[in-house]
Amino acid sequence: MRRLALPIAMAALLALGALVLITALRPAPALTQAEQAQQIAGELRCPDCQSLSVAESQTAAAAAIRRQIVDLLAAGQTPEQVRRHFVESYGEWILLTPGSPLVWWLPAAALLVGIGLLAWWLRRGRSIAVSVEPPPSDGVRSRIRDEVEQLDG
Amino acid sequence: MAMPLLRWTQVRWLALPLVLVPLGWLLFTGLGRDPSVIPSPLVGHPLPSFAATTLQGTSFSAAQLAGRPAIVNVWASWCNPCIDEHPVLLDTATRHGSEVQLVGIVYQDTPEGARDFLARYGDGGWPNLLDPSGRIAVDLGVTGPPETFFVDASGIVRARHVGPLTADEMAAQLTALGLAP
Repeated sequence: MRRLALPIAMAALLALGALVLITALRPAPALTQAEQAQQIAGELRCPDCQSLSVAESQTAAAAAIRRQIVDLLAAGQTPEQVRRHFVESYGEWILLTPGSPLVWWLPAAALLVGIGLLAWWLRRGRSIAVSVEPPPSDGVRSRIRDEVEQLDG
Repeated sequence: MAMPLLRWTQVRWLALPLVLVPLGWLLFTGLGRDPSVIPSPLVGHPLPSFAATTLQGTSFSAAQLAGRPAIVNVWASWCNPCIDEHPVLLDTATRHGSEVQLVGIVYQDTPEGARDFLARYGDGGWPNLLDPSGRIAVDLGVTGPPETFFVDASGIVRARHVGPLTADEMAAQLTALGLAP
């Protein structure tokens, strides 16, 4: 049974990798305009409520934005242009997912810097503990001997 | 023998305050901020164009604002802070009506509601535009009334104020537009 564990784990890993690859490579299904509008509405923050998307909210402002998304898509704008349209009036704040990749990388970078500093600090402590006084050189030894002899003499 | 340069062991007590003081300052100043106030991307950019019907039934467009500073005030009859702010707007219209154009945008409200509000709290005579589709409010990035946009003579938005304007705040904004308060 134990002999089978490794091949089974390998096979499972391969299957998982294949699944991920297939999912990643599969072309995104073509969305209808209504589906696109729904998707964009889900990515925009409702301006007059707390933590709800425009798609979920029932306020008049959310309804106005939903109408405008449909109008802009019907006028031939791409989903990205529609998003930019709302960013231009509300700012990046309107996007529920931040547009700047910095937001995602900064915590990871901070973590790496922290680990680096900790590693440096730990290594430094060890090297101090290990280091001992170097033995006195021959010159120093002979001087000590001379001085001791002088004192004795 | 020359004095050796400062060693790490001599200055390492500096490291902690060097990190903690800026971090503490950052967090502490963050406490004083109002998270509901979002800087408007419109500031420094032209006022979005709009055309709408006023409460009186006439048409009005943003193009009519060209040539002199404007104050665009987003309000609603159901908005209580708008009641507090209204006297400040009336006073501005009385004293600066010839230098600055006031425009109201009626936000998520009925024409009847808006007319009742003006009948009760005073009608300064400036155009109040109906926005039944909410389009003007969305173009201005309004999150809730009252909100006021200060526009200079060349049509550039110079400031956005969220919440009711006090007389002092209005005076400061008028000064910034180059008008004596």
